[in-house]
Amino acid sequence: MKIITRYTLLIVGLFYTLTSLAQYDPDKVCRIDNGELIFSLNLKWTDKEKAAVSKQFDLDSALIAQVYQGKSVITIGGETWNAKKVKPDLVELSKPVQSETGKSVKLDDLFLEIDEWANFAGNAAETSVVYGVNDFKLSYVFVYNQKTARFYLPASTTAHKIYIAGSFNGWSTTQTPMERVNDGWMVYVNLKPGKYSYKFIVDGEWITDPNNKLRERDGEGDYNSIVYCCNHRFELKGNKDAHNVVVTGNFFNWNPKGIAMNKTSDGWALPVYLRDGTYAYKFLVDNQWITDPANKEVRNDADGHTNSFVEIGKPYLFKLDGFTTADKVILAGSFNNWSRNELVMKKTEKGWQLPYVIPAGNYEYKFIVDGEWMTDPANPFSTGSGNTENSFIALKANHIFKLEKFPDAETVIVTGSFNNWNRQSYRMARQGGKWILPIYLQPGKYTYKFIVDGNWIIDPSNKLFEQNETDTNNSVLWIDPF
Amino acid sequence: MQLGQLKYKILFILLAVVPVIPASSSPLKSAESELTSTPFTCSVPSSQTNIYTPEFNLNADSVVIPLKRAGRLFLIDAKVGEETGNLVFDSGANGLVLNSTYFRNHVKSGGSTPTGVTGAVGTVEQIFVKQIEFAELSYKNIMADVTDLGHIENRRGVKILGLIGFSMMRRLEIVIDAKNNQLKLFRIDKDGNRINSKSQEFKPDYTQKIVGNTNILFLKGIISGKTLNFCFDTGCETNVICSDCNRSIMNTLTITGRSKLSGTGSAGSEVLFGRMNDFTIGNKQIPNMDTVITNLNALSEGYGTKIDGMLGYNFLEQGIISINFVKREFGIRFINAEKR
Repeated sequence: MKIITRYTLLIVGLFYTLTSLAQYDPDKVCRIDNGELIFSLNLKWTDKEKAAVSKQFDLDSALIAQVYQGKSVITIGGETWNAKKVKPDLVELSKPVQSETGKSVKLDDLFLEIDEWANFAGNAAETSVVYGVNDFKLSYVFVYNQKTARFYLPASTTAHKIYIAGSFNGWSTTQTPMERVNDGWMVYVNLKPGKYSYKFIVDGEWITDPNNKLRERDGEGDYNSIVYCCNHRFELKGNKDAHNVVVTGNFFNWNPKGIAMNKTSDGWALPVYLRDGTYAYKFLVDNQWITDPANKEVRNDADGHTNSFVEIGKPYLFKLDGFTTADKVILAGSFNNWSRNELVMKKTEKGWQLPYVIPAGNYEYKFIVDGEWMTDPANPFSTGSGNTENSFIALKANHIFKLEKFPDAETVIVTGSFNNWNRQSYRMARQGGKWILPIYLQPGKYTYKFIVDGNWIIDPSNKLFEQNETDTNNSVLWIDPF
Repeated sequence: MQLGQLKYKILFILLAVVPVIPASSSPLKSAESELTSTPFTCSVPSSQTNIYTPEFNLNADSVVIPLKRAGRLFLIDAKVGEETGNLVFDSGANGLVLNSTYFRNHVKSGGSTPTGVTGAVGTVEQIFVKQIEFAELSYKNIMADVTDLGHIENRRGVKILGLIGFSMMRRLEIVIDAKNNQLKLFRIDKDGNRINSKSQEFKPDYTQKIVGNTNILFLKGIISGKTLNFCFDTGCETNVICSDCNRSIMNTLTITGRSKLSGTGSAGSEVLFGRMNDFTIGNKQIPNMDTVITNLNALSEGYGTKIDGMLGYNFLEQGIISINFVKREFGIRFINAEKR
């Protein structure tokens, strides 16, 4: 009986939800009629639907509330609206369409709205991708070896010119021509391990790689081919009788489906790209979990499971000299969400140290010495001030901000679009008569300024600058793709 | 270039390309933004039209230029002087416009004229550029306007050397295939016919005579039986229709969104987003084209003619477009909706 009641309620609930949803058609909410901007609001809408309408048409929730309270003339935000019940459940809310034309428009605001409406969302940065596996129809069309990638496009020998354009060359249509070889076209490109999107341009025509099954939407209604320059190979010798071997790990959220490995002459293997970092993993051989028998690096996790570990990239050695009488020193930073207990440093003769692998990037950190937080006394670079001051480090820094002169300045900050124009970051250090700050920046454009003892200045050694909103200019910096 | 037009180009044609600077306490984020710029004013009379003659690097009679996309902007890889980067293919630009970030130190062609607009555009100066190269084309000793285009770069994350419109291509047949991201240029004779007879002539579904002598193209379109004057603009990331058009025209629009701007400089201003349901060009009805609905009066002033709307990206993707200034002909071959 209880079950019947429950199902009856469920069906009634579903019916109510469906009929309610059917009433809300975003295309029929608003119209222009005879110079009036008119919104048709259904009095049966749920709070969720009211909120959706309020958001889509930027109608003040207080305005909506007053409509539902039955008011007929509502003045809100300097505008007067008329509400009229046209059916028992339907109210029309209206105002003249041009009542706002005399107002000024700040174009920043307008364009932001248009971007949102047109859904111009940028793609996630390829450098933030954690792992990847290639999927080519023909194995020889892409080869990656010792920092050099070789792309091969079979056939198309009737073409006059073929270029490759991708995220690795800023999508330049002219920078990377391919060479005609037997039965096709080929090009070598120096690439670091990572994920790249690309296309071929055959006599001016953009095409995806016909032999690459990996594609991603380009955000413009089309696709790009995707390739990974792999830097690691998972291998499992033997187990030749197994039907299915997959690898999974924290890079794959421990999904038990895993990533299928390929059968080789002496077992199973899978070339992958893994972003710099430390990874736990296991193999699943016909659904049986095993650690990597060829890898001695095994650790227990918090649940008591034993996992294999692999480190990708070179570790950075965090060091704290002195404090030899301390019992415990912890490293905490933006790289591990400021965990107070994860990264325990090891005692040495001179102090404390911890090798730790983290991807290229800019990080803030502190040491916790027997419970006391402190900045790194050996690191002159920092962010914030006072209690909020943290040490700053750029791993795999690819740019150094430099400011000559100002030898008598007390503090020099470099700030810009890379840190949301934070006034207190990043504090530069004096070195050999000039102020410097090494930083890691992803490819792209940055605008920046120096703050010398509170005075904002553009970079005197950089001829590239552009106007800002206060007509005081910002320096411009481009970081080339790789 | 008519400086008044330039002003509106940068203000409007590149809809959705002004930077969004994150809120912070930095003094760079002035509450009283100088980008506040409506009602628009036009302060500078038109200057003569620039027409440039290209040299083909190769002895080819045509060239296919792969267009890159940033948002809905079409970009062309180019070398301007010693700088390499992108030119925005922007048929709403009357002449060549270069970004002051890279060209402010070039030799001035003499004098400078304020546009009358504060903030984003500022002073427009003219310079000479020794050479411009893109695809197989090169131009020598070009005069160009210089202004700040940093906001486009910041918006789209690409290096923008400038804006290039039809002025650089008037003596060629221009074929725009937006769907395939291609711009094809054909050499033509004095009668406007392609020089290489082997090259297949463009077969449009519809043609319209080009009127006027500017590098800006105006097209007649019909909504609700009324003929409207549209500016054809490859640099406009959305169609735009004027909010003070005839009421019967407004009635045909589906309104899919509305936004009240909240920034200090524009609090309370309203923008409507929607679709044109009843747009016809020639005898071809194009339903469901996205559009922004706003007031274009000031823009009309800038172009010296009444503009009812702008046909931008959403129109470009409807077909393959051919423009021949010598024959004074605009043509379009529609892509079947099914195919699209």
